[in-house]
Amino acid sequence: MFPKGGEVAMKTAQETSRVLTTKTMSPAALPDMEGWLRFAKSAEEAGIESTLLSFSRYEPDTFSIACAVGRATTKLKFIAAYRTGLMQPATFVQQINTLSGLIDGRVALNIVAGSSTTEQRGYGDFLEHDERYARADEFLAICHSFWRRDGEVTFDGKYWRIEGGRLLTPFVAPDRPAPEIYVAGHSEQAQQLALRRGSCWMRLIDTPEKLQPLVGHFREHGVEVGLRLCVVCRPTREEAIEAARDLLPDEDIGKQERSILIRSDSQTLKQALATADDVGWLNQNLWAGLVPYYGSSAITLLGSPAELADIFLQYKRIGVSQFIISGWPKLDEMVIFGREVLPLVREAEGH
Amino acid sequence: MSLRFHWMLPKGGEVALGAPQTARAAARYRIQSTHITSSAPRPDMKGWTHFAEQAEGAGIESVLISFSRYEPDPILVGCALGRATKKLKFIAAYRSGLMQPTTFVQQINSLSALIDGRIALNVVAGSSTEEQRGYGDYLPHDERYTRAEEFLAVCNAFWRDDGEVDFEGKYYRVERGMLHTPFLAPGRRAPEIYVSGHSENAERLAIAQGSCLLRVADSPDKLRPSVARIRQQGVEVCLRMCVLCRPSREEAIQVIESLLPERENPRHERSAAVKDDSQMYREASTLAGMGNHWLTRSLWAGLAPHYGPVWTTLLGTPEDIAEALLEFKAIGVTQFILSGWPELDEVVTFGQKIIHLVREAESREAKNPV
Repeated sequence: MFPKGGEVAMKTAQETSRVLTTKTMSPAALPDMEGWLRFAKSAEEAGIESTLLSFSRYEPDTFSIACAVGRATTKLKFIAAYRTGLMQPATFVQQINTLSGLIDGRVALNIVAGSSTTEQRGYGDFLEHDERYARADEFLAICHSFWRRDGEVTFDGKYWRIEGGRLLTPFVAPDRPAPEIYVAGHSEQAQQLALRRGSCWMRLIDTPEKLQPLVGHFREHGVEVGLRLCVVCRPTREEAIEAARDLLPDEDIGKQERSILIRSDSQTLKQALATADDVGWLNQNLWAGLVPYYGSSAITLLGSPAELADIFLQYKRIGVSQFIISGWPKLDEMVIFGREVLPLVREAEGH
Repeated sequence: MSLRFHWMLPKGGEVALGAPQTARAAARYRIQSTHITSSAPRPDMKGWTHFAEQAEGAGIESVLISFSRYEPDPILVGCALGRATKKLKFIAAYRSGLMQPTTFVQQINSLSALIDGRIALNVVAGSSTEEQRGYGDYLPHDERYTRAEEFLAVCNAFWRDDGEVDFEGKYYRVERGMLHTPFLAPGRRAPEIYVSGHSENAERLAIAQGSCLLRVADSPDKLRPSVARIRQQGVEVCLRMCVLCRPSREEAIQVIESLLPERENPRHERSAAVKDDSQMYREASTLAGMGNHWLTRSLWAGLAPHYGPVWTTLLGTPEDIAEALLEFKAIGVTQFILSGWPELDEVVTFGQKIIHLVREAESREAKNPV
C-alpha cells in the first residue's frame, strides 16, 4: 500500500489511524512528494513490484499521484484505485493510456464498484450497491473494447452508450496491450466482475484452508488471486505479537473508528468486522484484532521472518499469486520485509 | 495591466529537435495530426520539455493543452510537464460532460498541489457531435452549454470551500459533496476558467461561471462591442491566433501563402475545419466565400476556410505584430494564446523580437496615460 500524504514521516500506528487521516486538517489530503519518493525508492530497493494508491474523497486523485511519482521513478508500478461511475469510460481510457505513455506502462487498475452510499452521492452517484456492479461490468467491457484496438467502439448498455468511439493514444507497456485489472470485493457480484472483466481478484487475507476452494475456482478461469494484508515481522513470534498489540489505539479514537467503519455498506468490511469480533486469531499467525480500529485491510500476518516466508509459500501452493501488504509504519515494515522475508521466499522458489 | 501571452503546447512529435523546420513542414504536421499514423497521440516529454524551457525564456505565461480523441489527456500531460518545469502554467482544455464535476475538481485540485497551482482550465462545452458520441455524450449543442453551466456551478461550489456541496440540476446531482484536497495556488482559491466559443451561449457561460472568454481573433473594430460588454461584467477576453513574424511584411506574406493547399484539400483534411455544430467553425467556413481574407492590415484569415478558424494569422515584422497586439489591448483584450509555424521557432522569435516592443510601449503608456 502506498502511504498517504504525511504518513511516511509518522512513526506510530495511532498517528496513521483512519480517523486522523479523514479529518479536514489531515495531511492525507495533500500530496507529499518528498515522503512518497523516499517510500517509492525504498520500495524499489526492497523488491516490491507495485504500490496500490487508494481512492477516496479524503485523498488526492490517484492518477495524478501515479503520474508525478512515476515520472520520478523507473521500476515501481502503480495500481491506481478508481471507482467506476465517476467518468465516461472513454475518458477513463484516455487518461490511463496517457499515463501509461508517460510512465512506461507502469500502471495497473484497481476497479472498485463504489464505497459508502454517502460518499458516492457526494460524487454524484446515486446507484445502489448491487447496481454499481452491473455498471462496473459495462464500464470495463467498454474499456476492454478500446484496449483491443480492433476498430471503433460502439456499445449500447443500460448505463453507458457510446457510438463510433475512437482514441488514438494507445496503452503503452513493454508487454501488454491493456493494464492489469484488479477487482476488489468479497461479494458475489465482485467475484463475478473479477472473473468476467479482471485479471486478478483482490480480497482480504484469510486462512489458506478457507481460501483454497475459492482460489482454485478463480485460477481455473485464468484469473489470479491477490491478498491484502498487514505484516508485522520481528525476530520472534512473541516479539511480533507484542509489536502488534502496541498498535491498538487509545480507547477514545478506537470508538470513533468503529463508528466510521460501521457506516460503510461494503460487504468486505462487514465480514471482516464480524470475524474480528468473534475470534481475533484466525490461526497462529493471522490476527484480526486491529480490524475494528483500522479497517478490514488490517488483518495482520505476524511472526518471525522464517515463519512469514513459510506462510507466503503456503498461500502460493493453494494458488495465490500476489499480495498487497501494509505495515506500521509502512516504510519501516516494508524495509524489514524486503531485507528479512523476501530473500527467504525467493530462495525457496529457487531464484 | 500588462498583456498576458500564452502559447499552444505543440503536439507529440511536433517539436523537431536538432533540425530546422520549415513553416510548410510544420503546417503539414498539423494537418495530419489527426491521422492514425501521426505521432500526435503519443506523449513527447523530450520535445515538450524543450519547448517549455524556450517558452519560459520567451516570457510566455502558460501553454494551452488541447483536448481531443487524437491526443493524450491534458490533465496528465499538465502533471508530467508541470513536474518538469518551475514557472510555466498550463491551461488544460476539458470538455464538460465527460466526468462527474466532483471527480474533475479532485483531479484539478490534486494537480494544483503537485505543480504549485500552475493550472488553469479551458472549458469547452463540446465538439463535433460525432466526436462527442464517441465519448458517450449525446446532448445537442445548445444543451451542452446548459450542462456546462451546471458543471461549472458545481465546481465553483467546491472551490468556494464553504461547506458540503449540494446541487440538484437537470444534468448533475450531488449530495453532501466534500473533497479534502484543496485547490492550492499562490493568491487563488480556484483555477482561472477560460470558456471557449463564439456563440451567445459561450459568452453567457463565460460571464456566469468563467474568468475569461477565449475566442479566435477578428479585427478590433468587429470585436470592440463584445469585448466591452464582456469586460463590463468583470470577465477578461483572450484571443487565439497564429503569429508569423519575418524581417519584412512581404516575406511573411510569402510564407503564409505557401501554406495554402495546392489544390482543394481532400475531405479528410477538411474534417478539422467542419466541426458541424460549432459556431466558431461555421463562421470560418463562411469566410471561404469572401474574396478578401485580410481582416486588418496584419490579420489574415486566408487559411481558416481550409484548416479551421484557429489558423487565422497575425503576420508581418516584429513592429507590425507588436502594434497589432497593442490595438487589441486598446479595445480591452487582455490575453492571447498564440501558435506559430513551427511553434518552437516562432515562440523564440516572439521572445527575442516582439515581446519587448510590447512591454516598452506598455511602460510608456503607464508613464503617460492617455
